Amino acid sequence: MSSEESINQVLSARGLKASAAQPRVMLEEENNGRVLVAREGEGREGILEQWPAIGHMACFFGVLILVSFAFNGIITSGFRRVKTSEFGALNDALGGKVNAQIVITGSSRAAAHYDPRVIEALTGHSAFNLGRNGSQTDMQVAFLKAYLAHNRRPEIVIHNLDSFTFVTTREVYDPVQYTPYLYDRNLYDALRKINPNTWKDRYVPLYGYVVEDMRLTWITGLKGFAGWSPPEDHFLGFNPRSAKWSQEFQNFKAANPNGVRFDIEPAGIEVMKDLISVCRQNGIQLIFVYSPEYSEMQSLTKNRADIFNLFHELAAPAGIPVWDYSDWKYSDNQAFFQNSQHLNATGAEVFSEDVANRLKTYSAARFKAAQDEHLPVATTIDLRN
Amino acid sequence: MLFNSIGFAIFFPVVAVIFFLLPQRWRVHWLLAASCFFYMAFIPAYILILLVTILIDYFAGIYLERVEDPQKKKALLWLSILSTCTVLFIFKYFGFFTGSFVGLAGLAGWHLSRPALSIILPIGLSFHTFQSLSYVVEVYRGNQKAEHNFIVYATYVMFFPQLVAGPIERPQNLLHQFREWHAFHYDDITSGLKRMAWGFFKKLVVADRLALYVNDVYSAPRNFNGLQLTLATFFFAYQIYCDFSGYTDIALGTAQVLGFRLMENFETPYYSLSVSEFWRRWHISLSTWFRDYLYIPLGGNRVSKQRHIANLLFTFCLSGLWHGANWTYVFWGFLNGLYLVIGWLTKDWRTRLWEGIGLHEGTIARKTIMLCTTFLLICTAWIVFRARSMSDAAYVFTHLTTGWDFHKIATEQFLLRQLPVAIAAIIALEIGQLWNRVVSVPSFVGNFPTPARWALYAGFVMTVVMFGVYKQMQFIYFQF
Repeated sequence: MSSEESINQVLSARGLKASAAQPRVMLEEENNGRVLVAREGEGREGILEQWPAIGHMACFFGVLILVSFAFNGIITSGFRRVKTSEFGALNDALGGKVNAQIVITGSSRAAAHYDPRVIEALTGHSAFNLGRNGSQTDMQVAFLKAYLAHNRRPEIVIHNLDSFTFVTTREVYDPVQYTPYLYDRNLYDALRKINPNTWKDRYVPLYGYVVEDMRLTWITGLKGFAGWSPPEDHFLGFNPRSAKWSQEFQNFKAANPNGVRFDIEPAGIEVMKDLISVCRQNGIQLIFVYSPEYSEMQSLTKNRADIFNLFHELAAPAGIPVWDYSDWKYSDNQAFFQNSQHLNATGAEVFSEDVANRLKTYSAARFKAAQDEHLPVATTIDLRN
Repeated sequence: MLFNSIGFAIFFPVVAVIFFLLPQRWRVHWLLAASCFFYMAFIPAYILILLVTILIDYFAGIYLERVEDPQKKKALLWLSILSTCTVLFIFKYFGFFTGSFVGLAGLAGWHLSRPALSIILPIGLSFHTFQSLSYVVEVYRGNQKAEHNFIVYATYVMFFPQLVAGPIERPQNLLHQFREWHAFHYDDITSGLKRMAWGFFKKLVVADRLALYVNDVYSAPRNFNGLQLTLATFFFAYQIYCDFSGYTDIALGTAQVLGFRLMENFETPYYSLSVSEFWRRWHISLSTWFRDYLYIPLGGNRVSKQRHIANLLFTFCLSGLWHGANWTYVFWGFLNGLYLVIGWLTKDWRTRLWEGIGLHEGTIARKTIMLCTTFLLICTAWIVFRARSMSDAAYVFTHLTTGWDFHKIATEQFLLRQLPVAIAAIIALEIGQLWNRVVSVPSFVGNFPTPARWALYAGFVMTVVMFGVYKQMQFIYFQF
């Protein structure tokens, strides 16, 4: 019996296989049930003899990678074809199809509070809501920059303020919403600043769709590629909330009986300065609006006065009006709210009318002041009609 | 390092290619280095704890072989076991026992404060501790020669495919493999990769998808209705099975690619017709460990009826405690032990009952009833296992059948559109398992022409990629 046959027997007795292609194996020692098989260079010979098999496997994995890239392309393209929902709104904004005269920026509060249709109807000027759910000021400014890169500059930007305006993003909320648009430098840079791993979303196929998202959002992209768009829930970017007052605030109060403090981060202040600077450079009239907040919540925000002082400190030198709706007529009426931070659809409609009327009056005054002082009126928008 | 991470997707091919390129004498060193790297990807410093366990049992093995006097040998064995278990106790059970003691003292009117010491549990500690103990006991019993090569022994304890969640190997099965020649074998590699793919399907597509629902519900069960509680419990049964058996499939597949054979840990346990059968098919390496090193040494079933019952309950309670330092785990173990005791005590009565109603052994109706009953009993025990506290478990028990609302199924993380995916994943799993019982699926597909085979494999991999959940989902059993 040859040594090769004997090792094959030993291996098969242990339930192991020895292939025909296996290199010559020398049984050097068999002692106490231990088989010592060692010879310099055997491993190298073994793998080198298997190049065809390795090539076969490499081909298969190559096919998989190609399929992944193809799938990634289909999903991205599909998302960009969607005409409705948050993706439809983003496609319009980043596709240069908006070109509105009034643009609203901000968080989910902005998205849910300002109905551009109401503003358009009352002012007669086009409006668009760029508010994004789960976004902090740093991402809101990135969105505005991205919007400006693809659209005509608006005359007015209404920036909605929050108690957490000076808190920067620690973790990107719902990152898959950005994945189809990572080609936009403003968005990509802002996201990379928050999460250095964002490059994976952009360059590793499918990563941004399947790893960053657990809710199978990519199916929307696939359907979009086939020409299907989800039901509309965004109207010129406005995302009304149909839900009635929920238990969220009660839970919040129970969890924070002594109230809460929102950080005022130096980086958050810088972001606000950046916003002011971007608007000034583009000749855009910036207006800060603190949209309605449920009255009981206001008293729970311990450093609310500090935050508002800072709003005014930033706004005054730049001549930015601050419209504070903290004492809005329905601030203590739960019928107009979904929770302490968000108006419901009814509240949003009433509030949008209030803002539109104020905007109209404000612009009229500005226009008149500009005329009286013989300033070029092109710097202000005439909303008197 | 998690199997379901990009890090592992780079780590494993690199380790495998270099392993096959290296001459035999360096391979075990390479495996040890790779295993250290793998473990240190979690918390680097904790490798020192592993080193302590390895050193204790390495020297214990050598001395156990040398010592002739049975008394001294036994003393040495106990010294080794106690030393190894002390490490486990400090890192896993210190907080639990001191907390329980403080609670007990409180009942007696002594108001003690808990020690401020808070220790993070090193990952997989219970697994490698038990594997190490298994080696010492086998050397003591004379079933295994002591390993004198420290590198080989350390690799036996640290072999990365099974380092953090088993299977808990016996030295007779694994140790010798580090000295054997492992050729680059195409069939082994592709079989291993297929096994890994199946494991990833179980983990990413089934377990982690279901985990979204289970975690939401079990984190605050009082916020959910009976339907949601029932669904979450059913999902958890599949989640924990797919999580753990998925890990095992990946571990076995990884080892197989490198030419190693690890023991099977699961045999479709939910197809069991009794709880005792379930425990022969669930986490086999742990069940047999407790059987061989605790239950049988205690006397097993060859003792009085009362002692036999006590042995069973004690073994299962300890098995529960092994899973986690919490009374819920102990109670879960006790409940399973109780199932076995009741099953054993009522065996004759149940047989008469079956025969009395005309359901003879082997009939499909009888098997179906037994299978469903076993599954329900196991699910009931899983409630205690999964709940964060005994009061949560009690709440779930008492509200499973109340307030069912078919309009309120979704949770915050688990939207309604994920439900068909989750159900489809469970059905696909069952079809796969049933099919594999009839014919080996990999062999069956292996006979297809290459384009069809590749299309099937690519389709399967893409399904796992697209429907998997990847967000920081650690394997459940890592915590043990």
